[in-house]
Amino acid sequence: MGVFVFLPLVLPLSAWPVARLAETRLHPRTATRLLTAVAVVMAVCSTLCLALLMVVGTAQLPGNPLPDGWSDPEVRAAVPHDEVAGRAAIPALALVTAACARTLWRHRRVTRRARRALAGVPGRTVAVLPDRTPYAYALPGGRGRIVVTTALLAGLAPAERRALFAHERAHLTARHHRHLLAAHLAARANPFLRPLRTAVVYTAERWADEEAARAVGDRRTVARAIGKAALLSPGTPAPTLAALAATGPVPRRVAALLAPAPAARTWPSAFTSVGLAAWGAAAGALVSAMSSANSAVTLFLILHAATPL
Amino acid sequence: MTPETAPEGGRARRRGQGELEGQVLGALREADGPVTAAWVQQRLGGDLAYTTVVTILTRLLAKDVVARERHGRSFVWTPTADVARLAALRMRRLLDGERDREAVLASFVTALPPGDEQVLRALLDIPGPDAGGPED
Repeated sequence: MGVFVFLPLVLPLSAWPVARLAETRLHPRTATRLLTAVAVVMAVCSTLCLALLMVVGTAQLPGNPLPDGWSDPEVRAAVPHDEVAGRAAIPALALVTAACARTLWRHRRVTRRARRALAGVPGRTVAVLPDRTPYAYALPGGRGRIVVTTALLAGLAPAERRALFAHERAHLTARHHRHLLAAHLAARANPFLRPLRTAVVYTAERWADEEAARAVGDRRTVARAIGKAALLSPGTPAPTLAALAATGPVPRRVAALLAPAPAARTWPSAFTSVGLAAWGAAAGALVSAMSSANSAVTLFLILHAATPL
Repeated sequence: MTPETAPEGGRARRRGQGELEGQVLGALREADGPVTAAWVQQRLGGDLAYTTVVTILTRLLAKDVVARERHGRSFVWTPTADVARLAALRMRRLLDGERDREAVLASFVTALPPGDEQVLRALLDIPGPDAGGPED
């Protein structure tokens, strides 16, 4: 298997330009699905390779529970730099497992606490809370619930309120929280996938914006609703370097809504920059999947041959 | 040994503090005037211990959604807010406590960095807070 076992660990780097292009050029629905799928495939492959390296690394440790044959030179020769790579893979895999478990646990806890907090509040799908802080959330689980404060509703005109509810309802019906959770877990499994997570968070919002624009029938109303809500919300206390360098997601969403609706083609041609991005992402994920499958099969055969029957 | 009471207590525990707070506040709001903790306990049905009701009332007092005054040897309680206000308080505590909430709850908008405010106002043609309205 040679260097192929390391390939899925660094291939997520290839997704960076792809994420950038897809979030600006593709239809948000296509972009969300594509980027989530790419992130999940790359995360699974990278974790699988980490596990393979860990097996080789663990087999070298004295007193390990693995079969003796697994520490044979033949097995170790299958992995380049087996000493360093194998031992480094053990803490790395432990970190990945812990980080993913933590993310899942947090997800469950926040959902449960939010549902408990809203117990007893009238309204089946919408919970209006009297609060001076303006915010709105789509709370997944069951049929889902939209949480919105009176402060936010007071700051919006009736048509803009309809846009807000349409946006949150789109999150719930399209089950965006699954995409978001998958992207977050992928970013935990391999830190190189973080730009993909940021991109999925953005495209999921854009997707809900587009659905809201379709439901309300006026793109400018949705744009104004987002803009007004953002201006009502308390800003970040200190400007960070990233904030100074680039425009944040909210103005980009508003600008996208003020532009004409994106074409809802499902798969673009390969001869445009968008097509190149989409096909590039797919190719990266495929190479990642193939090299980790190659590594898994090779190592399985080697270990199988090394195991005394 | 009272084998019947054990699962009852377990159920009350599993129902969660949040839900109980909502029920106690709901019972107080149904009362005609200031009532005692024993009245609340009776109103909610037999499976809640008196001490539990008092604990929850004290917690609601700390959240400033109920008020109490001394009446003879015990306290009488009145609601000062409704169930939605209590839910708003609990939601705020959850949102303030979770840095990572974006992982779960898709927010309508994220906080706006200072530079973005001007960009946004220019895009949407919304006048700034400092700009006075038209004088004429």
